[in-house]
Amino acid sequence: MPKPRKRRGESLILRYLVLGTWALVCMLPILWFLSIGFRPRTEVITPQPIYWPTFSLDAWHLLMSDWPIARYLRNSVIAVAGSVVIDLVLGIPAAYALARYDFKGREDIGFFILSTRMMAPAIVAVPIFFLFKTMGLLDSLWALMLIYAAINLSLVTWIIRSYMMDIPKELEDAARTDGASDLRILWEIIIPACLPGIITAAVIAAIFAINEFLFTLLIASTSRAYTMSVALANFTGGSDGIIYNAIALVSFIAFVPILILVILIQKHLSRGLTMGAVKG
Amino acid sequence: MAKATPKPRRRSPLLRKAFPYLLLTPALLYLMAITLYPGLFAIYQSLFVVRFLSWTWTGFGNYSAILQDREFWAALGNTAIIGAISLSLQTAIALTIAYFAYRDPFIRGWRIVYLMPMLFMPSAVAFIWKLAFNDGRVISDLLMSLGLIERNVDWLGNIWLARMTLIVADVWQWTPFLFIIFVAGLQSQDQEIEEAARLDGASWPAIFWNISLPMMRPIIVVAVTLRGIDITTMFTNVYVMTQGSPGGATETMSYFIYRQGFRMFNFGYASAASVLMLILTIVIAQTVVKRAFRSGKS
Repeated sequence: MPKPRKRRGESLILRYLVLGTWALVCMLPILWFLSIGFRPRTEVITPQPIYWPTFSLDAWHLLMSDWPIARYLRNSVIAVAGSVVIDLVLGIPAAYALARYDFKGREDIGFFILSTRMMAPAIVAVPIFFLFKTMGLLDSLWALMLIYAAINLSLVTWIIRSYMMDIPKELEDAARTDGASDLRILWEIIIPACLPGIITAAVIAAIFAINEFLFTLLIASTSRAYTMSVALANFTGGSDGIIYNAIALVSFIAFVPILILVILIQKHLSRGLTMGAVKG
Repeated sequence: MAKATPKPRRRSPLLRKAFPYLLLTPALLYLMAITLYPGLFAIYQSLFVVRFLSWTWTGFGNYSAILQDREFWAALGNTAIIGAISLSLQTAIALTIAYFAYRDPFIRGWRIVYLMPMLFMPSAVAFIWKLAFNDGRVISDLLMSLGLIERNVDWLGNIWLARMTLIVADVWQWTPFLFIIFVAGLQSQDQEIEEAARLDGASWPAIFWNISLPMMRPIIVVAVTLRGIDITTMFTNVYVMTQGSPGGATETMSYFIYRQGFRMFNFGYASAASVLMLILTIVIAQTVVKRAFRSGKS
């Protein structure tokens, strides 16, 4: 690898000017929103924006007293974790079949799985709403879990498939001559060998599930099944208007775990986000 | 291609042949349940006028009404306009930032900064920009102190300004998605060709245009396709920030279906719109996406 050395033409000043500006664009709204979370409500919406507010834990007290924030958080965690488990249970065998077997219709089945990712949530929103209504699942965490799993199954399958295809065949062949069955090979060799891919898929699926908005809005019609994402949209507090400082605080409560997860899989992020098409 | 079986044991040939299908069956059944079933249900429901519990047969009535509905065509147009502008902006920005960042040893450690907007819940991002543009007047205030405008702007008072707020929110949140993919693409390409061009005295914009960009083409196609699909489903920002105002100028297809179904309870009508959007999706998936992922793999 040629080391980056001083280059003619591409000046460092220009480079850092561009990169610095964009870093500010990324960070300033976040820092400003953080300051919204720790200011009194009277300083949020003012005729003249206030850039140096007084510090206040108003929003925190409001969350603790008026909003069952712990329940929303719990709902998010249960629905998201459940959906990721469903995805892995269904997706790993499917990925194994797509990566390791040669059978009729493999390309088409693979593409069908991929194409479910293209479907706009709004297209299936009305039918899914009626389906869950008939099944009596509206307003339940089960419904959210099933929906999140469905949204992410294509992504999980394709990411894991991509990692499985990288595993050298010799590993399996040795085990196979020893007489191991296909399922045992999957469980004892393939899964451990593509663990980074499985973790990447799980993290990305979890993030998309946490972010899911439309279905949660439709399915969780009372606060019983609200998750963080939709609870936010309902912090409009009726006659009180939108309670921005509470919204800001809640969004940071959700942001921190996502940030940690992403730092953990940072190296695999580009590969995961392209469902395995780009190897980072 | 992967079938070498040195020691076929106990299994009948039939089971061996069926095995990959068995592995796939649970996932496929699940995906069918959430795509095929809703698709068929939407087609069926779109043939009725649905008023709460009463379904009245109307045949293609909903479709002929929708094709003459100005709001439907406006929603389609808005989705295309907002999506196209937003997608081109974020692609251009992400390419620029990625090109400057990918081999900088100092930035490498700070890459997470460029990813942060993507890690916020989309509903939270929508509130950030709603507050910045409309309720908190921060953007107006900043522009005024720069001397660019003279008084507060009503961002929802003008078609293009309202669309612009949606575009800003989308570009801010999702440029990181393209950025991280482009960085990976630039890193994995053969550095020696670039180095050779540089030794021949080529300038960096020439290298970027004539070497880096063409080599990255498959990756750009995959990333932009994925992002493009997500943009066409834009809902959250519209729901939180504009609710389609002013006068429906920011109503996207997803919001149109939501409004018809869950605000006006025209479920048959909403289903007809869903079916039309589904047809569009299938056409796009079969052409653009299939090609993008084929070329991306090789």
